Amino acid sequence: MQKHRKKIFLSLLVSFGSVLHFIENMIPVPFPVPGAKLGLANIMSLIAIAFYGLKEGLMVTVIRSIIGALLSGSFSSLLYSMTGGILSTVVMAFAYKHFKNVFSLVGISLLGGVTHNFAQVTVASLILSTFGLYVYLPFLMIIGLFTGLFTGLAAYFVKQNLETTFIQLDFFGEEQSNETK
Amino acid sequence: MITKGDKVLFFSIILLSFLIFAGFQVYGFAEGKTYVLIEVDGKLFQKISLGQTSPDLKITVPVKTGENVVEIEKDRVRMLFAQCPDEDCVRQGWISRPGQMIVCLPNKMVIKIQSDKSIKQDVDEIVY
Repeated sequence: MQKHRKKIFLSLLVSFGSVLHFIENMIPVPFPVPGAKLGLANIMSLIAIAFYGLKEGLMVTVIRSIIGALLSGSFSSLLYSMTGGILSTVVMAFAYKHFKNVFSLVGISLLGGVTHNFAQVTVASLILSTFGLYVYLPFLMIIGLFTGLFTGLAAYFVKQNLETTFIQLDFFGEEQSNETK
Repeated sequence: MITKGDKVLFFSIILLSFLIFAGFQVYGFAEGKTYVLIEVDGKLFQKISLGQTSPDLKITVPVKTGENVVEIEKDRVRMLFAQCPDEDCVRQGWISRPGQMIVCLPNKMVIKIQSDKSIKQDVDEIVY
């Protein structure tokens, strides 16, 4: 039962992430910088990392990127979002595991946002073979800082809410004892 | 909920991005052609492309008090001779990076280096 609960929870995160990705594409970005976006779907990766760990976070990120690319129809953007997503998830999971006392979820989200930007610019400049694209990195970083702040705060509140709900539902705990009765 | 580490991270990211930005401002764009623009009295006198293949030139520029001489060597430029009394422009020496300039104030003459921003045009064609 525990295993199924985990599966269902993770697939819920994936579906929420895909929907957020889709909605996010409809919001126009007020900055003339290519690659700047809100990164709302990052909330779901953050929650997966916070509740389970690196493996589950990567699972959510990869599946969410594929579904998001299929939904939006621009498959070329998959390469950017996938590499950025994987790298930022690895960095966030590492930071959450080892620097949990130093950074809150907000700080981890900031780290993830900046890593995502960096990976995206690197992939773009490898594809276009012009390293002049790094000119955009500082702008992307500043924008990513504020969107990362927002997603981090959102993830923080969602996590707090879920934790209290989970305690009430006994999500992680003595469910099996009830089952066996 | 926002820890001290978060704040430090926040400001260090801002600092880092400003450093990268400043680095690009100082060193210019690594790619793209560079041009030297010679302006007299606010009007363009001559535009010459710079590069390893360009010939060495000495250009005589007519100015208010007489003639200034600009020397171009491959990808760098200097004021070889000026008629102004202080000769600050001559002492400034060679310039080669986009964004740099030599100004001869008494004669209202400016030597500028610019790059064509071909990188930016490339970027606009990407569909994200």
